[in-house]
Amino acid sequence: MQRIDRRPGAGAPWRPYLYLLPMLVFAVGFVYYPFLKTIVQSVSTVNFRGEITGCAGLENFRYLFSRREFGIAIRNTLKLMLINVPVTLFITILLGWFSSKRRPLGPVYETMLALPMTVSMSSITLIFKVLLNPSVGYVNYALGLRLGWYTDRHTAMAGILLLTVWMGIGFNYLLFLSAFRAVPQDLIGCAQLEGAGALRTLLYVQLPMISPTILYVACTNMIQAMMTSGPILILTQGGPSRSTTTLIYLMYTSGYSSSNYSLAAAVSLVTFAMTLTFTALLFALERKRVHYQ
Amino acid sequence: MKKPAFRRRAGDSLMGLLGIALGCLLLFPLFYGFMGAFKTPSEFITYPPTVLPASFANLSNFHTVFTQVPMLRYFLNSLITAVLTSAVRIAVAALAAYAFVFFRFRGQRVLFFLVLGTMMLPADTLLITNYQTVSRLGLLDSYLGICIVSFVGASQMFMLRQHFMTSPTPVREASQLDGCGDLRFIVSILLPMSLPVLLILFVQSFVAQWNLYLWPLLVTSSNAMRTVQVGITMLTTIEGTNYETVLAGAAVAMLPAALLFVFMRRSLTATMSGSAVIR
Amino acid sequence: MFKRMLALLLVLLMMAGLTACAQAESRKIVFWHSMSEEAGALIEDYVKEFNETVGLEQGIQVEAVFQGTYAEAVTKMNGMLANRQLDSLPDVMQLDATGKVSFAAAENAYTIDAAAADHPEDDLSGLLAPAMANWQLAGAQLGLPFATSTTVTYYNKTALDAANAAAPVTLQDIAALASLAKDGVTVYAAVPNTPTLANWLGQLGSDLVNFHNGTEGTATALDCVENGALAEFLQAWKELYTSGALVNTSGSTDEFVAGRQLIMTSSSSSVASLLARIGGAFELGVAAYPQVNSTASAGATVSGSCLVMFDHGTEAKDAAWTFVRYMTGAEVQADFARGTGYLPSNAAAAASDVWAQLVAEHPQYQVGLDQLMATPDTMRSVTVGPSADFYYAIMNDVSDMLEEDLSVEETVDMMQDDLGGMLEQYVRANP
Repeated sequence: MQRIDRRPGAGAPWRPYLYLLPMLVFAVGFVYYPFLKTIVQSVSTVNFRGEITGCAGLENFRYLFSRREFGIAIRNTLKLMLINVPVTLFITILLGWFSSKRRPLGPVYETMLALPMTVSMSSITLIFKVLLNPSVGYVNYALGLRLGWYTDRHTAMAGILLLTVWMGIGFNYLLFLSAFRAVPQDLIGCAQLEGAGALRTLLYVQLPMISPTILYVACTNMIQAMMTSGPILILTQGGPSRSTTTLIYLMYTSGYSSSNYSLAAAVSLVTFAMTLTFTALLFALERKRVHYQ
Repeated sequence: MKKPAFRRRAGDSLMGLLGIALGCLLLFPLFYGFMGAFKTPSEFITYPPTVLPASFANLSNFHTVFTQVPMLRYFLNSLITAVLTSAVRIAVAALAAYAFVFFRFRGQRVLFFLVLGTMMLPADTLLITNYQTVSRLGLLDSYLGICIVSFVGASQMFMLRQHFMTSPTPVREASQLDGCGDLRFIVSILLPMSLPVLLILFVQSFVAQWNLYLWPLLVTSSNAMRTVQVGITMLTTIEGTNYETVLAGAAVAMLPAALLFVFMRRSLTATMSGSAVIR
Repeated sequence: MFKRMLALLLVLLMMAGLTACAQAESRKIVFWHSMSEEAGALIEDYVKEFNETVGLEQGIQVEAVFQGTYAEAVTKMNGMLANRQLDSLPDVMQLDATGKVSFAAAENAYTIDAAAADHPEDDLSGLLAPAMANWQLAGAQLGLPFATSTTVTYYNKTALDAANAAAPVTLQDIAALASLAKDGVTVYAAVPNTPTLANWLGQLGSDLVNFHNGTEGTATALDCVENGALAEFLQAWKELYTSGALVNTSGSTDEFVAGRQLIMTSSSSSVASLLARIGGAFELGVAAYPQVNSTASAGATVSGSCLVMFDHGTEAKDAAWTFVRYMTGAEVQADFARGTGYLPSNAAAAASDVWAQLVAEHPQYQVGLDQLMATPDTMRSVTVGPSADFYYAIMNDVSDMLEEDLSVEETVDMMQDDLGGMLEQYVRANP
């Protein structure tokens, strides 16, 4: 990477600030300002119109932590995240590795494997609803199962996971495909000359080379998993028996739909804190494991 | 020792078939959904369930989809908002990246991390306060209202910054000597050089915006403004889901994006590998 | 020459002015509704008819917009009210019970009392009393009942006849049918939620929350714990579950229509679509809402939706009023009842030929109306602030009782904590 010689340049010194302005305006207006407002709302009493009517200190948090749904939501969200991310990584890395070698039929299956990314969330959610119907769903029939899927508290989360992992395959697969293809051939050649088989090459040469991509995919998927709410709103409404209640779903129904804005704000902050922690953990891993060229 | 050519080819074909099999397995839900669009309501409650419809001539569901809800309008809205968001987001990110790369100014580090910091605050946690802001601005139920919260593209800016840093210094200096102003430089030299990266960012942004559900649900209230995501879920009724209509709607929603993707895929993967997106 | 030009100009100006006036005369009002499929199609028809008849005469044009479910529409309305986007609100809106509180507190709510005061010549006595009472809050009449329904029991008469069973009257009757649950067939599936729980408690003579189920003031606490009504209901519900006749999922119309679920409690408005979907597969039986036990009274609260209006100026208010009167008039109500199964909110509609003919062909329609008129006045539907939260909490808590085999006392305590806590928080934020 070459160093750019950044001379202040001829012309007005306010130029960089001008170019930065749009970005800053939106960043402050739609990210930092709402964030601060959320913090304020979480420590105030907010009426059903959204107006602040007084100071609540930590009362909102105390109430939130005392709600059974909250503990359940944290557990469910963590479960979702801790299963979704590794599974997605595993599947997409494997598929990417498999596809990295160019073959005659390649273009066909590469397109097929990436196609899920073009399907809108609500479409595929409704398709899964039909497929996983307990009595007339094709999946139960084809696999000889009698699972309740979205109607049974033990399997509902599994059903949601199935859906979210499926949705995550398309784009992440493309990223890994490109990453694998970007690994310099001479490195692989070297490894093969030294007698390394396919598996060892994968583990000791390719994976380290694509580790920046792994970090990126892990991070983005982790954040997406923490924020899961769409499929739940459409399919299970947090049930059955709260088994699919996630943090953002809780924020929407118990907060927004119940005109309890201070609760919504409190949930937002907790979700944010957790996500931030996990991101920091992932980046700490980066220092140890991720290899940049 | 290299394998003989025909063995390599046989191995490749076998692997190729495996790939196709995997693809079929993955795409089964889509196939099933598409087939379901041709079924009649009773075909959905029969046991054992079928994959193929009784008759492909049954187009009544598609008719319902286009008459019961303004599906074309939803499409248009999704398209407009996705394109608008992606275009503005990249433009804003490019300007910011340009500022960070080609200049040295006071507060640079602070501002850089300030922008990057927005990646830590996921949009869904700010949904409700953003809603309050957008409604105060009078942007409820409008394209701008749907798009405006997505104009901040910190990760896009970061990628562009990484990319701009690889551009050779002499180019900028030469253009400055020629009296080339900032905007001219960006538009006629920098952006064309970065076309592959811009393409990827555009597609990524487009797909992300196209798939948004919660935010457009909150912000739109009229049929004229709804996006496809929200619109499809409105095909369901209170009593239950009329699967045949919903699947027809889903099939219709899937088709354009899928077709576009099939045609774009080659250039997409080529540019992605070529530019080595994440170094 | 000049004079002729002037004359021409004047004529043109007059024409422009006239057309402008004519256009201004056609007031456009916006109507939000939450009905889809058959009911939604009917609404679109009525709106079109109105625009072509009364609307054309009086220069009113109505634009109907489907807003998704009632919950989604109310969420939208709440959002606009909260952010003072009063202009974005419609002129007429179809509201269900969950929207009552927000509407009542809306700055530009145009209540029926106000409308009646503006139009003293209009006679509102034709509208059924129980239906009207349902849309009152703290003494004010918020809206006029449009789609009126009550909850009834649907059962597979063919299957029950084959087992020599009469129509179920109490929950215990349903429990007695447990032996029919086999080979993929379930007897009854339901999870209590706010309105259905209120029904059962009302049968036991108790309200769910205080202030008369929130209709006379903001509810602050549960009202069914001390009098033992909640415990009594939970006991009966638990016994129903242990008998094997109850499956702990929300009932599915698809399953009922396919003959795989024998009993279903649902809105009386489903009659028309059920008859259509079942076709001749089996005979559809309709009975009154199940009683908690033999000592409880019968009946179920009124549900459905009403039409409320927002104040967007005198002309708009008048136009809205005209439209609302049209939609709650005898003709539309009778036609709507026939096309959907909703009960006619207008007494004249109930007495009309259309209704009589309908009942003659399908006596199932009459059950709902009879139950509506027979339900004691004291049974009110529930209005609470945090409605979504409350609703799901009831469903989840009762489910937990069944699935985790909790005792009735534990469940009552749990519900007291959960639901009571929600109400307390709401009152704290909204003094």
